[in-house]
Amino acid sequence: MSPKPHRILIERVSGYADEAGAYLRRRRATRQPFARVFYAGDRSAAFEPGTEEGRALFLAASRMIDAADR
Amino acid sequence: MSRTEDERPASDPGKRTADAELAVARMTEMSVDMRGCAVLGGDGEELASSGGSGWARAGAAFLEAADSAQGEPAVQVHVATEDGEAFAVREGELAMVAVAERFTLASLILFDMRTVLRDLASGNGVPDRRAPVQEDP
Repeated sequence: MSPKPHRILIERVSGYADEAGAYLRRRRATRQPFARVFYAGDRSAAFEPGTEEGRALFLAASRMIDAADR
Repeated sequence: MSRTEDERPASDPGKRTADAELAVARMTEMSVDMRGCAVLGGDGEELASSGGSGWARAGAAFLEAADSAQGEPAVQVHVATEDGEAFAVREGELAMVAVAERFTLASLILFDMRTVLRDLASGNGVPDRRAPVQEDP
């Protein structure tokens, strides 16, 4: 006997939800701090925390986070 | 005769501040992961903020750090730290800076910031985009 149509739909939706949950878990586990700046003309540049520019960006970001939490 | 809020010209500082406050309110309402945001004017002054203090100084320093990273003006900035994520978007002479929870969906936050700031910079107020426009019968 074939499963009822609504059951197929529910299984499919819960399959997608499982995939989305797994993606978010992987993202949390692997994501490192980063700084990215976007410029006119769809250009962008990433700055590592070890560089002078990266340090300045991370410091400024920390101050802004402090301003939000104050 | 006094003018109502909507009749004031876009260049009116009072209307500009009211629109900026509306933009901040809309942004805070749309983005659940948002911890705070502010709209900064052309001189780096704070036009409106969702709370906290020192936004003008911290936001201006954030934009300054982004501009000097490669020696050209940044249009958008995203820095993810252990304590949260910081964003900035520029539109004309206005800028919006925001702080969100860690691991937020950055593309959605940036999209919302760009939309709200573009409406604000147009000088025509910040429309409510949450629902379709209701036509009169």
